[in-house]
Amino acid sequence: MATKVKEPVETPAATNGSANGSSLISNDKLRQLYATMLKCRTLEERARVLFKQSKFTGNYYAAVGQEAAAVGMAIDLRVEDTIGPSHRDFITGFIKGAPLDKMLCHLYARGNSPDKGRSSPAHFGYQPLNVITPASTIAAQLNIATGVALANKMKKNDNIAVAFSGDGSTSLGFWHEALNFAGVHDLPIVFVCQNNLWAESVNLQFQTKVPDISVKAQAYGFPGITVDGNDVVAVYRVAQEAIARARRGQGPTLIECKTYRWYGHSEIDPAKYRDPEEVERWKAKDPIANMEKYLTGKKLFTPEWKQEIVDGFNKELDAAIEIADKSALPEGIEALDHVFSFDIRDRVLNPKTYTPSY
Amino acid sequence: MALVTYISAITEALQEEMRRDERVFIIGEDVGVEGGVFKATKGLYEEFGADRVIDSPLAEGVIVSASIGAALAGLKPVPEIQFSDFITPAMDALTQQAAKLRYRSGGTQTCPLTLRVCYGGGVGGGLYHSQTNTTWFAHEPGLIVVAPGTVADAKGMLKAAIRQDDPVIYFEHKKLYRSIKEDLPDGDDFVTDLFKAAIRRPGKDLTLVTYGWTLQLSLQAAEKIHAETGAEIEVVDLRILNPLDKDTFLESLAKTGKMLIVHEDHRTLGIGAEISAIAAEQAFDCLDAPIVRLTAPDVPAIPFSAPLEKFYLPSVDKIVEAATKLLNY
Repeated sequence: MATKVKEPVETPAATNGSANGSSLISNDKLRQLYATMLKCRTLEERARVLFKQSKFTGNYYAAVGQEAAAVGMAIDLRVEDTIGPSHRDFITGFIKGAPLDKMLCHLYARGNSPDKGRSSPAHFGYQPLNVITPASTIAAQLNIATGVALANKMKKNDNIAVAFSGDGSTSLGFWHEALNFAGVHDLPIVFVCQNNLWAESVNLQFQTKVPDISVKAQAYGFPGITVDGNDVVAVYRVAQEAIARARRGQGPTLIECKTYRWYGHSEIDPAKYRDPEEVERWKAKDPIANMEKYLTGKKLFTPEWKQEIVDGFNKELDAAIEIADKSALPEGIEALDHVFSFDIRDRVLNPKTYTPSY
Repeated sequence: MALVTYISAITEALQEEMRRDERVFIIGEDVGVEGGVFKATKGLYEEFGADRVIDSPLAEGVIVSASIGAALAGLKPVPEIQFSDFITPAMDALTQQAAKLRYRSGGTQTCPLTLRVCYGGGVGGGLYHSQTNTTWFAHEPGLIVVAPGTVADAKGMLKAAIRQDDPVIYFEHKKLYRSIKEDLPDGDDFVTDLFKAAIRRPGKDLTLVTYGWTLQLSLQAAEKIHAETGAEIEVVDLRILNPLDKDTFLESLAKTGKMLIVHEDHRTLGIGAEISAIAAEQAFDCLDAPIVRLTAPDVPAIPFSAPLEKFYLPSVDKIVEAATKLLNY
């Protein structure tokens, strides 16, 4: 019997954290949260346009609509803290402070990008800021970040790791292995599940039977929290708690951010599997517009300020794009570099021919 | 000098490297209090404690991938997979992460870990305690794959692997653990060149290329043939399966004109196939006879019942037969 496709699962976000009671957060921080989200959106919308203009090839996996989750989680991380991003976490590198020109050169696969043109556009890593270069195998970054957390614990520092993934990742054995291991060893790590209801075209109801992914943390012996992933203040508050907990050596936290991606899985996915009404409903929960309202209520927002941020950031973006445009592509032969710690060019290009001794 | 077994050499190597470098740590199933299923890590838990000899949950995937993260963060993990038959849950970690991390980060992120893996048949272990799946990894650029076949190499190559700034898979054949002994220098900082194959027996009539347990069988076979016919077989111990040291076996082939490759891994697309192809491409003029492979057959895994296992595995007699035919070609 064919399984009847049910209505998409869309449970209301819990309110373990909310904008209420945000008096502990300074006005400067509130404005920074907003401005960073706005820049992330501007960056990603520009990246989408550049892709559509064929300024870069491959594909792009925008997190537009999910900015609150990334910004709320990553904004206060230290350089020494490690991020394990997934394919939809391009902006986490930016939030952590990666230079825009490096990010644009990466999108354009230029020879001077941090990975020298190896990884596809959304897979941005940046070693100077401890952002691990992502792989496409889902959930793998959770385990690697767990290993970083193990190292931090062994080195007895108070650096932490933050591993990002989506709802689809929670179906993998690797997801379970990472959380179980981190729980057993009380590792300084925060697992962030950006539950955007869709893993490519598969709705959450086909990933898991439980309405809140955060309950899974109970099986691993550490706290799991569901938060409105479109409320940056709420995310920031739970993130601060989880990060502080990890730094104190009290172990991991799983934070489920209920959110939504506005566009398809990638730029080549029109996402026709979704009800347009569902998309509109979520766009009405735009984390940036929500924060504008909130800041307006606190007299911290003006449209002029917003315009100033966008204009200023666009100038920075233009400069970065110009650098990327002018940067050279890698030489083909550079495909042979960085396989091992030693050079293999000669081995590949100049094999000896043996002559018989007779 | 002290007479030590292959497995004692492994324990000594781990102990010395852990004393030498506090970044080195061990992680795996049963490696702690128990000292490992074959006792390779015996005594290390007592000396270095639970923080550096970590009993992991039963999850090969996270044993390897957490090691990758720890390596990325500047430590030197030495994870263990109890039996190579159980390595498949760690395949993503090894092939997609460890092998590609340096490459995909443009050389900015590195993964210096040494994965110890116990492999090989001949102990009646059956389908899931005997497999020789070295080729899976030798096929993967970015992974250094070594398979020591002597006691000295068991120690020297493990120490070299731990000091290497790349992911290394160190395949230890369980049949070698307690069946060979060698005199090793006491308390010496004994490190072997990881990247060079070795001539274990010089000869002029036939080049026999092998590694691991079949090295021991090949040396016995070469002696037997020499005693019976006077023929001199040159035995090349590959030692490292990726990247291959082509020069050593090609130079030997240029001298002898004939090549027999013996390995316990499956035949199709095995190491022998690669060595044959390299010889055909780069040393065709040296060949006086077809290149011959003596390998395990292409069946899914090593069978349990004794006659089946015996049929499956290379042996001294099989090597003598194949080498004799080739010598007489």
